[in-house]
Amino acid sequence: MHALHRKTRWQVAWMVLPAILTLLFFSLYPLLYSLALSLSDSQLARPFRAFVAFKNYSDAIADSLFRSSIELTFIYAFGVTLIETAIGFGLALLLNQESGASRFARTLGLLPFITPPVAIAAIWRLIYDPSSGLLNHYLVGSGILEQNVAFLGVPGLALASIMLVDIWQWTPFVFLLSLAVLAGLPHEPYEAAAVDGANPWQQFVHITLPLCLPGVLIIAILRLIGAMKVFDLVFMLTFGGPGSSTQVSSFYIYKVAFQQFKTGYASAMTIILIVVLTILVTLLIGLYRRAQQRFGP
Amino acid sequence: MKGETRTLLKLSRVLAAAVLLSACAAPVAPATPVVREVEVTREVIREVVATPTPAAAKPFEGQSINVLTIQPHAVATRALARWFEEETGARVQVLVVPYANVTEKAILDVTSGAGEYDVIEIWYPMLGNLVEGGVLEDLTQWWEENREALQFDDFVPSIAEPYTLINGRRWALPYDGDTHLLFYNREILDRFGVKPPTTWAEYREVCKTITEQGKSEGIYGCAIMGAKAPIILLSTFVNRLQGYGAAFFDQNGKPAINSPEAVAALEELVNQLPYALPDPKAVAFDEALAGFTTGKVGMMEFWTDLGQMSDNPEQSKIMGKWGAVPMPKGEGPNAASRPALNAGFALGISTLAQNKPLAYEFLKFVGRPDINVRVNTIVGGLDPTRKSTFDAEAYRKHVTPELADAAKAALSGAFAWPTNAKWPELQDILTENVAEALAGTKTPKQALDDTQAKWLEILGR
Repeated sequence: MHALHRKTRWQVAWMVLPAILTLLFFSLYPLLYSLALSLSDSQLARPFRAFVAFKNYSDAIADSLFRSSIELTFIYAFGVTLIETAIGFGLALLLNQESGASRFARTLGLLPFITPPVAIAAIWRLIYDPSSGLLNHYLVGSGILEQNVAFLGVPGLALASIMLVDIWQWTPFVFLLSLAVLAGLPHEPYEAAAVDGANPWQQFVHITLPLCLPGVLIIAILRLIGAMKVFDLVFMLTFGGPGSSTQVSSFYIYKVAFQQFKTGYASAMTIILIVVLTILVTLLIGLYRRAQQRFGP
Repeated sequence: MKGETRTLLKLSRVLAAAVLLSACAAPVAPATPVVREVEVTREVIREVVATPTPAAAKPFEGQSINVLTIQPHAVATRALARWFEEETGARVQVLVVPYANVTEKAILDVTSGAGEYDVIEIWYPMLGNLVEGGVLEDLTQWWEENREALQFDDFVPSIAEPYTLINGRRWALPYDGDTHLLFYNREILDRFGVKPPTTWAEYREVCKTITEQGKSEGIYGCAIMGAKAPIILLSTFVNRLQGYGAAFFDQNGKPAINSPEAVAALEELVNQLPYALPDPKAVAFDEALAGFTTGKVGMMEFWTDLGQMSDNPEQSKIMGKWGAVPMPKGEGPNAASRPALNAGFALGISTLAQNKPLAYEFLKFVGRPDINVRVNTIVGGLDPTRKSTFDAEAYRKHVTPELADAAKAALSGAFAWPTNAKWPELQDILTENVAEALAGTKTPKQALDDTQAKWLEILGR
């Protein structure tokens, strides 16, 4: 019996080995290659010219542009995640009922999510145009603004403008996943609460919110990881400007790798970013586990 | 349970085998229609004639090369490919990429060993980096062998060197001779009682006058391209830099980007921003072109093909209402109106070219004087690289004699960007700091001092 069980385990191991090897090759190999590049003086055309140990890492930590890019990335990622989670979950609560209107609203709400990111950036570039854009036209026309504003040309405002596009694009994603979380809530607590005389607000605060918390946390974590990697919107809308006010980490690393051609240095920055993200995600997963233990089924 | 486990195991074995076999199988070709050429042999009986004349076989029939080109030159390169095929029988596959990605594509093609490209389009400031990276074939001998036949001395001298020469060796063939002129809308300038400027201070005043009076109607005195892409932002800066008599490096090759003249040039640019089409920091090619060709902008510095675009009824509302003058000059003892070689492209041969003889033939074809005229007289064509093209009747008729003369004068003695191997990094640092100056987060002096310090560190001086 014991021998048969051992034999079965070996058979299973052999069967999944090709899939594991493929996964390892496509995920580990690029990581190890980047790690090797980061320890060398590498250019795009001449990789591994010389071993420089941790010089690229110390240069990256001393690089004020890299440090400010990480700061900007955190501001961006946390900002959009908080807003998208709040709006997406709120919309899911409102539209979590079967009616024609809510079904129509749900379909309409998906449009930003299914539109290609480059198309979204191109459209918003036109919307934000300071001389003939839609946004200025309506804001000035309605008297909210006195004169046209260069949404993508003012430091500070440019980052907020890109964040708005991100929120417009990704809130439907949060909304969809929140709907799934709400659909998975058990009915029994609500029935018991109704029997005990709890009103809808009390049910929402004491039942809905706690039960949804683990699911919403996971959605927020997923969204945060995605937002930390933002690139396409910055590339299309501002190219990191004005100045360096929208130069997030991924964009700065792209510039160093493909405009300065310093692939060794870019790899070091990438590894640092991976470490930072890993620490962040680990902390957040810990938060999720605690929420799961406290409020999960 | 045991039976179910055995069945599950059997299924798993079958699945795993299938995965393994599919991983080992040859890659599946993309689902595109497969066209097979079918050769049909038929016996044809001809009458015997006294002197039969067989059709001349095209010399490179059945052969092909791949040419990497940038999106703005897709039309021109495809036209060249077609003409080359008509003449030689060879097929030229034109592969188009955005201009910002052409250098990295060329480098990665060689470093990865893919060897997909035979002929590569090169943005000339990247030439040194490409040569150092071993991406380009040394064309020195080819130049010497073809110098007389292809009249290489006819190339505009100020283009021939920076576009092709590194360390005394030739690495490319001039392809697109880019420079900037100052274009203006005659109607707008006449309406506001101003004339095309000859100095940058005059430019600022003209721009200010028109904007202050015309802004309520959506008319601005000038469009300044300040979007944070090196080819855009630095072209704008360099137009002022050379006008003030400044340079990137001094005569000894030491960085001189924070000279008083350079600082004055950047200060002038920053002072012009408030009067330009909003917002200069977000204005790239499309926004500037749209502003000028729809009659919303009085002046704009742009490449010489703006003339053709302004006379194109499909995209312009200002046909025949524009003019072009040389770049203004700055102030100071070294100030001069000296155009800059902004953008500018050449063609090289990849060291991993699959068909080098044919690649050389293509370069020979493109390098012909008559082809230079031909490709510069089609809609969507290039900018001339030869002196003779500027004098050719067909070209002068195509762009107007005024523009042909202005462009020829602009290219002669033009200010070239550096082409050394470190330039990509130096350029990116300069772009970063000039962008900060435009955004107001650094003063012009601070921006250029920071650039100078970083350049000295990189160049080890």
